[in-house]
Amino acid sequence: MKEKLSRIVTGSPADYTDLRYEENRKTRVSYRGRALSEVASYATFGGHVRAYADGGKAIATFSQPDRAEAMAASVAASARTAARHRDKPLRLAKSPVVDEAFPISSDSHPASVSIEEKLRLAAHYNDMILAESSVVTSETDYDEFVSRRVFVNSEGSVIEYDVVIVNVAGRIVTKRGGIVQRVRFAFGGNEHFDHVVGREDDLRRSIEIACRLVDAQPAKAGRYPVILDPSEAGLFIHEAFGHLSESDSLQNNPAFRARLKLGEVLADPILNVSDNPTLAEFPGSYRIDDEGVRAVRTPLITDGKLTGRLHSRETAAEFSEPLSGNMRAVDAQYTPVVRMSNILIERGESTFEEMVSSIEDGYYLVGAKGGQTSGDQFTFGAQWGFRIEGGKVGPMVRDINMSGELFSTLKGISMVGDDVTFAERGGCGKGSPMQLNRMSGKGAPHIKIDEVTIGGVA
Amino acid sequence: MNPLIESAAACVDHAELYCVRQHEIVVRYENARLESINETDTSSLALRVIDGGRLGATYGVTPDRAGLIDEAKQAAVHGDPATFSFAPDAAYPAVANFSEETAAQSSEDIATLCESVKERILSLRPGLPLKMEAGTAVRTLDIGTTQGADATHRSSEAYLWFGAPFAGAGIGLYSAVAGVSPLTRPDEVIREFARWYEWSETTSTPKTGRLPVIFAPDASSLYLLPLWAGLDGDAVEKNTSPLIDRIGDAILSSKLTIVDDPLRDDAPDARPFDDEAIACQRRVLVDQGALTGFLFDLRTAAAQGTVSTGNGLKRALFGGGTETAPAPWPMSLVVKPGDSTFDAMIADLDEGLILFGGLGFHSGNYPQGQFSIQGVGFHVKGGRVVGRLENTMVSADIYTDFANVHAVSREQRRSFGLLNSVAPYVMVDSLQVAGT
Repeated sequence: MKEKLSRIVTGSPADYTDLRYEENRKTRVSYRGRALSEVASYATFGGHVRAYADGGKAIATFSQPDRAEAMAASVAASARTAARHRDKPLRLAKSPVVDEAFPISSDSHPASVSIEEKLRLAAHYNDMILAESSVVTSETDYDEFVSRRVFVNSEGSVIEYDVVIVNVAGRIVTKRGGIVQRVRFAFGGNEHFDHVVGREDDLRRSIEIACRLVDAQPAKAGRYPVILDPSEAGLFIHEAFGHLSESDSLQNNPAFRARLKLGEVLADPILNVSDNPTLAEFPGSYRIDDEGVRAVRTPLITDGKLTGRLHSRETAAEFSEPLSGNMRAVDAQYTPVVRMSNILIERGESTFEEMVSSIEDGYYLVGAKGGQTSGDQFTFGAQWGFRIEGGKVGPMVRDINMSGELFSTLKGISMVGDDVTFAERGGCGKGSPMQLNRMSGKGAPHIKIDEVTIGGVA
Repeated sequence: MNPLIESAAACVDHAELYCVRQHEIVVRYENARLESINETDTSSLALRVIDGGRLGATYGVTPDRAGLIDEAKQAAVHGDPATFSFAPDAAYPAVANFSEETAAQSSEDIATLCESVKERILSLRPGLPLKMEAGTAVRTLDIGTTQGADATHRSSEAYLWFGAPFAGAGIGLYSAVAGVSPLTRPDEVIREFARWYEWSETTSTPKTGRLPVIFAPDASSLYLLPLWAGLDGDAVEKNTSPLIDRIGDAILSSKLTIVDDPLRDDAPDARPFDDEAIACQRRVLVDQGALTGFLFDLRTAAAQGTVSTGNGLKRALFGGGTETAPAPWPMSLVVKPGDSTFDAMIADLDEGLILFGGLGFHSGNYPQGQFSIQGVGFHVKGGRVVGRLENTMVSADIYTDFANVHAVSREQRRSFGLLNSVAPYVMVDSLQVAGT
């Protein structure tokens, strides 16, 4: 296959062509309450081809392997059409030719585990949830994605690589009177099946929170100082800052390019942030990206100053900055986009107790619940939280969403904790069409922000 | 009958084959320059079987892949008992939303439209960092069952989306139009965009408290998605819907009538049958504020002892597709127009907000009818817009706050967001706002 694909890209009339072909195996076990709503294990395949010609770019996705040659010819012609409507040619940064394989091996590779064992595991966790009387229903999913990819380009790169991720995740839904609450749980986030096994104690903690949450009061709208737990802090840095470190978000926004020059002071010197795909066994760990570029650690904020950005070959050329290996696609249906691998707020020096005692009237927000960012504006939720009054943690609160503006909020980070934790489940939505990528990791310690806006019907 | 269904009939008790083929051309602009031309030529399938009384499923790209039926049969060994049957032979309503002209559009045709739109917008807003995407799609859906259903539908779509970040900001203003036939330059929409963009040149943050809010059509998802979560037959089955046992009750203002209408020939997303080959129908879901019905697919209908309403779709809040199991979703929501106008609503406001979007919808408690979002829109004082919103959160419980709707506009248009609904401007008496 790879020889045939290489012949197609080297024979293309475009200035540059690359082609990625994938064979993917997915296994899914889903419980919705008592019902086993799905058990499926199946294979799909597909390809993605990209061409640059005369400074224009065209992309195609296809599902039939025998369409590869025709689609490569089509994108070469479309790239020339695109070039006729551009006054500034697109360029690619030089990248070393790679002829190498990057397989993933594991002592507990999910392919070596029977479907019966995966079913038993999901059923066991689901039964634990439904055994609790306050639980009204559950969502328990076992998800496994094993992808064998071949990447070739017209410069001579021929790369075979694997993408493997296993997750057990879901929601615990509790109800009391008219109040319904949902608490998420997630285990895994890497290639090892044994990381999703034996997680009963973690699940029990989530069930207990869900049961307590139906008795909590809603958060009260206003502006407050907050402490974010590592899960929330990881989501914050991902949503609020991380997306703006992805250069394709900046490439065509002159106002933001001007504000985000390398060396700019963005925060107090206590803040250090990096993107690191080379960390082992986190959701965003990999060795080669979907553009054939080797993965490297990129320091993004160092002692409060902007020191790096995440790039594709195209944005690295546009910004005249080093390659970072951050072009990734969920699968062959999608074109790669620049996206974070594992983004990390690095360890600080404050203790949790010091943070709490510094707040008279605020909130402690716990558990990432998804978020959204648009430029410098961000909003994200917490699964639960606590009031902080008079320097002490008070009652639990529910239904919390917070928002803010990136630059003022980064400057408002006044304490960074001494306790880094990585979220096991990755997740990020980006692109048009939207690519929901589980292979995006987030890690952080507790942090204190001096003021954010909390929404709420109360 | 598809040969795979014929083969399946010999191996399993019942089978359903869902096949979709899509050809799409998209032209993208960034910062007023053509960025790329994208082409998609894909097919995918889902095979569900009932064997030995149990349900199994598998997925693939082409029906000729070896082992598909065996995979589905093997899944059924582990599957739950089937509580429903696949669709029988049926007559489907006529929906004519395919255009040969759209199917014949080339990337050059689409780029020519984009250049014309770009020229017009830049004449009104010189130097605007214009983002734009235009495209055509032709989609063919075939669903067959061993019970005799044989459903085929081909549709086309032409769309244009454009806008720009606000000056000095990342957040921006975007507009869109779509149709079944090739588009012409939408001058009226471009004029409205230019008017709104002018409103955004200054920023304004209201004080924390309760204020009236006008929801533009593009913000209709903010109240329609929580409503969907309550109408969802799965939430009824799981006892999590706040609308259980409330058929006939007033759940929203009497000024609101909401219809699910998938049969409009002018709508690119119109269709004669759902993703389980059940005939689609036009249904009133909320009639002058009163709840009149829920949404069911085959599985949830069986659980409630009723029949599918033709709302089984392979979608999720974000994404979905062939590899997603069907679930109850609205097909195409239409909020009926009223007798006010957008400009009259603004003139009527001493102080209030106009929302055309919101950030962070999915992290709120929407299944219970609530949203808590960062408002994207404008601040109005003394009957005129004083600037675009900044750092302002807006929260609501639709079953409380949308009981008091002040006005609904005559203007009505298709919105683009998590739901492709058709909606007017809706002005709500007061919502909780967190600002300065």
